[in-house]
Amino acid sequence: MLEIRNLTKSYGDILALDRFSLDLGKGEVLGLLGPNGAGKTTLISILAGTLADFSGTVTFQGRNLFADRALKNRLGIVPQDMAFYDELSAMDNLLFWGGLYDVPRAELKRRAAELLERVELAGRAKEPVKKFSGGMKRRLNTAIGLLHHPDLLLLDEPTVGIDVQAKVSILDIIRNAGASGTAVIFTTHQLAEVETTCSRIAIMDHGRILAQGTLDELVRIVGERDIVEITGEFAAGPFSEALQDIAGDGIELLSVADNLASLAVAATEQIPRIMDRLFRRKLAVTDLKIKSPNLETVFLKLTGRSLRD
Amino acid sequence: MRRLLLVLANDVRRHLKAPMAILIFMVIPLGMTGLIGVIFAPQTEGSELPPISVLLVDNDKGLASKLLVGAFDVDQMKEMFQVTVTDEADGRKRMGRGKASAMVVIPEGFTLDLLDAKPVTLLVVKNPSEQFLPDVVEEFMNTMAVMLSGVVQAFAEEVRGIRAMLDRPVESFPWDKLGPEFGKAQKKVVAARTYLDPLILRLKAEETKAAGARTSFTQADLFSAVLPGMAVMFLLFIVQTLMRDIISEREDGKLRRMLTTPLRPIELIGARIAGGWVMGIAVLLVMVAAGTLIFRATWGPLGGFLLLGAVASFWAAAFFALLHALVRNRNQSGAFSAPIILAFSLFGGSMMNLEAMPKAFRTVGILTPNRWFIDGAALLRDGRFPFVPILILAGSGILLLALAVPALRRRTSV
Ligand SMILES: Nc1ncnc2c1ncn2[C@@H]1O[C@H](COP(=O)(O)OP(=O)(O)O)[C@@H](O)[C@H]1O
Ligand SMILES: [Mg+2]
Repeated sequence: MLEIRNLTKSYGDILALDRFSLDLGKGEVLGLLGPNGAGKTTLISILAGTLADFSGTVTFQGRNLFADRALKNRLGIVPQDMAFYDELSAMDNLLFWGGLYDVPRAELKRRAAELLERVELAGRAKEPVKKFSGGMKRRLNTAIGLLHHPDLLLLDEPTVGIDVQAKVSILDIIRNAGASGTAVIFTTHQLAEVETTCSRIAIMDHGRILAQGTLDELVRIVGERDIVEITGEFAAGPFSEALQDIAGDGIELLSVADNLASLAVAATEQIPRIMDRLFRRKLAVTDLKIKSPNLETVFLKLTGRSLRD
Repeated sequence: MRRLLLVLANDVRRHLKAPMAILIFMVIPLGMTGLIGVIFAPQTEGSELPPISVLLVDNDKGLASKLLVGAFDVDQMKEMFQVTVTDEADGRKRMGRGKASAMVVIPEGFTLDLLDAKPVTLLVVKNPSEQFLPDVVEEFMNTMAVMLSGVVQAFAEEVRGIRAMLDRPVESFPWDKLGPEFGKAQKKVVAARTYLDPLILRLKAEETKAAGARTSFTQADLFSAVLPGMAVMFLLFIVQTLMRDIISEREDGKLRRMLTTPLRPIELIGARIAGGWVMGIAVLLVMVAAGTLIFRATWGPLGGFLLLGAVASFWAAAFFALLHALVRNRNQSGAFSAPIILAFSLFGGSMMNLEAMPKAFRTVGILTPNRWFIDGAALLRDGRFPFVPILILAGSGILLLALAVPALRRRTSV
């Protein structure tokens, strides 16, 4: 239903999207994971039609997304900014923003009331939005994108900086949308969200997708190895040098930063060898954790960065 | 079109929900007008103002001129005016030294011309360094002119008889009875003017330093003269506030969100400009109503005033649309708007009586909407249709719109 081919966008010298390609089917919920600056917002903005000067093509329901104005009615966007009118009530906001799409007025009112119920704002529908908490505003921001029952829903960091209740409510909406046949792309840098919400996960950095698949498929990238996380007093350079000659021999450096490094090892028996090298170089280790592979380690392996960067 | 109206209706609803800015901008001009009124308005009773010093030159020395001179001598008038009777040469000398607020010159042959129903002109020389006192004198003389013209026309038959009594003393005219009611009667008399047109007795105003320069002359009372200037100044402020949405929504992401919907940029631009225009008109109407209720201000025919207000509001909407297409952010909008509006108001006569301003100011004033609105309002009160002000405001407004729309389109598209 959605085919993105070789989207490339640069801001001056910064390459924000680098030949980005992706396919998405009806009802699929894709979690787009990426650290800050990966290009997530740039991608969503291009698809939403609010960013120009890029190359590549996007086909949506068999038509060029950017040439066919009628397609805007099939597209739902939930921007990263909370863009609505603070001085108006939640209901008035829904009726205004929903009214910009081609939905009959009576139907719009019905859907607005129903959505307010679903995001648990029905009791405060008539209050000015400026009295809302951050979480309530996020829920409203999300609801606005759904009024016209889009075929493709794009959400940019819909759960950033909110309480658990609001997060659960928003993830619920995303799952529901997928279940009712809407294709969804939502960006996040929270692993737990994609693990529970998405039918497919894509990990992106530097403007391109590094890997994608189901959770299981992605975890297999790291393989049946254990993850060793080492904390200590060392700089990244000497640490990498110390392990240079044994790396590859069942040991893989996933990410190395000052005072913190992650390695994948085929077996825990290799840990003493690692410690031996570090002691010989007088690199002090203060803590060592052994984990089984998960999305986080996949992310670490692919991007060399932790999501919390 | 449906979406344009939706945005327009939503903008109106929003500004009604958060009306503080608009309310403040409506209360300030009314308050300022009231203040000016308290300070400068002529008061017939319990006046705390010093008497206005007037020089009276009687070149006629006939019955009618004596009536006029006598009118200044009635008790009630004495509280208001301190009259010095002198000759024209001495009067001009004194005015030159700023010794009086105004000089009234009654021309030679005044009485006879008046009785023959020939047009005659009274000259009121005003001191340009004073703002409102000379206007009061002019106002008073205007009232007298209208009254005398009315009397002469209404009693055309009797006038012939009056000619026979040319030498009766002025004292026999019952001024004492006229005096106390004079204030109330004044407005009615002035209102009667439209029915007396053309006036037999005309007034000519001039200023000492700008001798020979014709000055525009308003006949309505102080509030009516001050209020339009205030109204247009704050109309500019209010429309500016409304049009600021253009830039603030670009900054807070609402514009971007709108562009993801089927709303076309041109529909949004249209809605914003139409919204500023419509709300500007509404605000003017409220100010007219308030001005009428509070100050008993007069505006001339309401339809004409509405048309003038509509073109002024249109001008303001187009101007601030253009401004907001050019500025980069909210801060710049604020930094440019306020000084521009204040400059418009200063040079255009919203803050000072145009007649009290240097000539250079008045020339610059031609470039301001304030000047044309104030002129238009004066013409309307004068019973004339303000063709030129309306044409100028509408024409320059259309020009501004023609510049604003493409500029906004460039900044509204992705
Ligand atoms: N308007 C802009 N001007 C210049 N650089 C930008 C702009 N927007 C984003 N970038 C750069 O493009 C890259 C991708 O940004 P973005 O798409 O916002 O990433 P994400 O949403 O994944 O954090 C980053 O390096 C960012 O600094
Ligand atoms: Mg982002």
